[in-house]
Amino acid sequence: MMEWEKQLHQLADRLCYLKDIFPGKHEEDIALLETRLNDTRRKLETCSAEEAQAEMTSLEDLFFFMECKLEDKLTPMDKVRIVRHPHRICLRDILENVYDNYTEIGGQGEHTNDPAMVIARAYITRKRHGKVYHQPVLVMGHEKGHGEEFRNGGSAKPWGNAKAKHYMGVAETEGIPIHAYVFTPGGYPLEDYPGAAQQIARNIYEMAGLTVPLIAVFSEGGSGGAEAISLADKRLMFSHGYYSVISPEGAAAIEGHLRGGARASADLVERCARDLHLTAEDNLKFGYIDKIIQEPVLGARPYHYEFFRTIRQEVIRATDEVVLSARGLAPLRAATLRRFRDRELNLDEFSVRWDLSRKARQRLVEMRQNKFIKASHRECQNRRSIMGRLGDAWSEQWWEIYNRLIYDFYHRNRRTFSNLLEEIGSEWEMLKLRAMKPWNRLHGKTEEPAGNTEELTTLSEWEEDNHSGWAWVSPKAREDRAVSCPYSAQRGCMDMWAPDLYNEFAGVCSSCGHHFPMEYQWIMNNCFDANSLYEFNTEVEAGNPLHFPGFDEKIAEAKRKTGLKSGCITFEARLDGVQVVVAILVGSFRGGSVGVAEGSKFVAAADRARRKRYPFIVYCHGTAGIRIQEGTHGVIQMPRCTVAVRRYIESGGLYLVLYDTKSYGGPVASFLGCAFYQFAIRSSDIGFAGPGVIKNTTGIDIPPDHHNCYKALSRGHIQGVWDRRDVRANLRQALETMGGRNLYYR
Amino acid sequence: MNKQHKVLIANRGEIAVRIIQACVKLGLDFVCVHTAEDACSGHVALAREIGGEKSLYRISSYHDANELLSVADESGATAVHPGYGFFAEDFRFARRVTERERPLVFLGPSWRVIRDLGDKINTKRLARSLGVPTVPGSDRPIYDELEAEKIARSLFDFQMQQGIARPLVLVKASAGGGGMGIEEVYDIDMFRQVYRRIRNYAMRQFKDEGVLIEQRIKDFNHLEVQVLSDRTGRHPVHFGTRNCSIQSTGRQKRLEVAPGFDPSSIKYDFDAAALLDEIVMHSLNMARKVGYDSVGTWEWIVTRDGQPFLMEVNTRIQVENGVSAAISRVKGKEVDLIAEQIRTGLGDPLGYTQDDITFNGVGVEYRIIAEDPDNGFSPWVGDITRFSWDEHEWCRVHTHVPPATPEHPYTIPTEFDPNLALAIIWGKDLAEVTAHGLAFLDTLRLEGHDGKGEPLKSNVEFLKKKTERMLRF
Repeated sequence: MMEWEKQLHQLADRLCYLKDIFPGKHEEDIALLETRLNDTRRKLETCSAEEAQAEMTSLEDLFFFMECKLEDKLTPMDKVRIVRHPHRICLRDILENVYDNYTEIGGQGEHTNDPAMVIARAYITRKRHGKVYHQPVLVMGHEKGHGEEFRNGGSAKPWGNAKAKHYMGVAETEGIPIHAYVFTPGGYPLEDYPGAAQQIARNIYEMAGLTVPLIAVFSEGGSGGAEAISLADKRLMFSHGYYSVISPEGAAAIEGHLRGGARASADLVERCARDLHLTAEDNLKFGYIDKIIQEPVLGARPYHYEFFRTIRQEVIRATDEVVLSARGLAPLRAATLRRFRDRELNLDEFSVRWDLSRKARQRLVEMRQNKFIKASHRECQNRRSIMGRLGDAWSEQWWEIYNRLIYDFYHRNRRTFSNLLEEIGSEWEMLKLRAMKPWNRLHGKTEEPAGNTEELTTLSEWEEDNHSGWAWVSPKAREDRAVSCPYSAQRGCMDMWAPDLYNEFAGVCSSCGHHFPMEYQWIMNNCFDANSLYEFNTEVEAGNPLHFPGFDEKIAEAKRKTGLKSGCITFEARLDGVQVVVAILVGSFRGGSVGVAEGSKFVAAADRARRKRYPFIVYCHGTAGIRIQEGTHGVIQMPRCTVAVRRYIESGGLYLVLYDTKSYGGPVASFLGCAFYQFAIRSSDIGFAGPGVIKNTTGIDIPPDHHNCYKALSRGHIQGVWDRRDVRANLRQALETMGGRNLYYR
Repeated sequence: MNKQHKVLIANRGEIAVRIIQACVKLGLDFVCVHTAEDACSGHVALAREIGGEKSLYRISSYHDANELLSVADESGATAVHPGYGFFAEDFRFARRVTERERPLVFLGPSWRVIRDLGDKINTKRLARSLGVPTVPGSDRPIYDELEAEKIARSLFDFQMQQGIARPLVLVKASAGGGGMGIEEVYDIDMFRQVYRRIRNYAMRQFKDEGVLIEQRIKDFNHLEVQVLSDRTGRHPVHFGTRNCSIQSTGRQKRLEVAPGFDPSSIKYDFDAAALLDEIVMHSLNMARKVGYDSVGTWEWIVTRDGQPFLMEVNTRIQVENGVSAAISRVKGKEVDLIAEQIRTGLGDPLGYTQDDITFNGVGVEYRIIAEDPDNGFSPWVGDITRFSWDEHEWCRVHTHVPPATPEHPYTIPTEFDPNLALAIIWGKDLAEVTAHGLAFLDTLRLEGHDGKGEPLKSNVEFLKKKTERMLRF
């Protein structure tokens, strides 16, 4: 009996595991296994060694058979439960079994600023022609620690992500590749310094230009938390993992309109998990991951040693491929890569150097950026005609050539020329003055009197602007009613008449300055030159790429209500004559959520601004985050748009973000939050997750001003808080004083 | 005039009393408001006496437009008289009253006129466009330091040319008001520093860097022209001029005389009669230009050498309207400017021209206030136990203070301005009005005590002293 104890115990564990991942499902199969296990246990006490051997083998076969049978019936939600199970492999198992040697450097165990984020220097040892090569890599990732409480389930805090960003810089300096393992249900949504959203945005921005190979491996890819370390050259994914915009429970809570921590039914959660298309196969099909690493039956657990060897081969292969594709001459590269695809090749016995020349690093970044810019391209609904698109492509090329000519050639040489002319001119003036001196003295020419009393008492010339008030007035200003300032009790504000408040006061309390939320049209029409707006990409429409049930109607309803085709308006405008490209995230279109259409329009706008060398202003009227009904199509907009932003900024432009009302979630944690110039109108709330989500995920009650823009300002997230009435003047000032060197008007 | 109108009197105290009286005179229904502190005020008693309880509403604040308008709706009022102070010159209130779903008549100028003339830059530019003299200096906000300095420099030169011994230049925030963000410069070398200080202050306070630069005029008399026009705005008439130069240290008027100067008995360094004609002409020109459609006052300052400069326009009935009425006759009959304002405001044509208005004698208005003129005019608070005067046909007293006795004292509310009464004295010439005024003040009995038993303090002695110096530079 004793000799079988260990095996029996293991089988009991496997049974428990089955019960855990199939709660209330496949009960007959599981019951059968349980009965058989108990039978065997009883039999073993009495039977002979041979019989026991046979019994055990048959039991183990039955277990394996059943597991294989259940594997075929796995639903997406089952996979989510597998990923979350404490028995699932964690980062520590991978460090132990995949790498040849490792040292934890971002802290030790629980002695670190964030035990949910582990950083280690590791070696992969490879042999070639009998010679041993130690290839260093930087491994980072979320550590769930088989349920250790202090690991916080792998939910990295803002400072954990900051640590990751710091070590990305270290890897870049040392020129070693990064392997990032994503084991997170999502970022920890607290706004303590450096702020969840802000830090994730910084990480994504950093990775968009990181000059070392970056391989990401997904097990649990929970939205923003996952993106914080996964903007990678190659993204691998475990076959039982998930990569999603939101947890199925979260989606179910939204779909079922649940409030105040009420739980969704298991059925609804199951359905949401399916509709979110969060499995590895789905994401491979969408193109958001590059390869699936097949896991053992019912998911990898620490004793699946063969699986660790597979991981090792796959991460080495991925790193080699990335390095090779960035390096060397093109034909050679292709040949090597072809050889490489041979799966039989044992990569441990084949060595590729992992360091890159400067040029190769540039190519690496460029390839990574292109990869993400193109992501989700297919899903974008663009109703523009073929001729229209051809025209666009032609005009893009034209602008490229025009700007080369004007700025790189003409302006550079003109400056030299005009400097020369100026010098000649001043010499001539001096000469003239000297020559005319005797003449002037003779005629007694005197200087004109300093002041003219006439102009002190008569009407002067003055072109008064803006006298007639705001160009656009909110329809709220048509109601005959009084509006109370929410601070009237504390600050003694008098009630205001709606036509005054929403028209002349621009939605600002006239006594305390509290900003009432206004429509997006207010900024759009009051802050740019009259009749200077030219909207582009109007044919791009928000759709339902995942065919999420019931969402077609909802999106049609949003279109009908707002008269818009998507939640992002992109246009060119002038601000005191200066041409700018503007993108608006409209808070009233599905909560300002960002999906493929919005992301695509944003990317196109950034690109247009880059080509034309215009400043790029983003007015975030409000955003609730990524549109969850678009699943990973939505999530991928985070790295995608950030890449577009980084390209724009590095081309020498001015990228300015202006927040208004409520801005939360993915967009803030990526392409908005990474801007160097972020300002907020006084009415803004800025953060990663709203108060309800924070309560649900962390159990913490936050103070009501937790997301207030002044908090964001104190934390260093934004650069200033603006009065709505000053937006135009402040933008004008920003155009003059901020941004890079390649703006057309500089 | 449609007698169906009902007037909401959105004010308190003395002016509310006079509006009630004007409504009664015109045969109009009215409704009064009062706060808890004002429950004993004379206007409440008068309203109760004439209109009964239904004409009285208690509100929590005279500053709350919502409350006033719900009183108007509840009582079925069709017009609002703002009096002076509170909402009188608030163009937003006037606009709200006339543009709400249940519109009311605003008994004052149209809101556009209030807005345009309430803007000091706009008023100055309008004046200059009509050739009306204004204080030398800029008439638009200056944003450029070099330009500002140039203007300041020429202002100093200009004053030197005029023989002013100590020229002064005033730098003020163009968006400011009420004495905030104003500074004097007496030396051009100091200008830049002051300019920058005011500019920064304006930026912080008003979010606008614009600065006005003007000559600072010291030695002057404060004159006013009383204008009235009906809703057509085409034929404004005037009711003469007033001299309001006698003020407290805080620049609050204490004694007003009509007309503005008296060349028949006092010798001036300039042609005073011509000057009065000039400012009246300019005022009416401006009123015509903007289509002024109610009562209003054009404020002027006149320097010792007789140069007038337009200061501002008060788009409301003023406290001292009675003193102009006292010397004016329309077609030989007495005139009540408040009644005229209500009558024309409700759409009646004026019905007479300037030729029908004649002037006779001199009027003086005393503002009788419980205050201590020797101690910076600080207000006195306490109970009034006696307040009486001798009746004369040349004297009219407007007060909201009810008859007080030692047994039934009247407690002065601390929430509002401490004005107790207005006494308007008439005489056929300056000598007579001076005599009448002194006689009135001598026989005025105003007694009371505060919480500590100290006797009441008032400005009666101050007024007596000033009566002798009326209309003199």
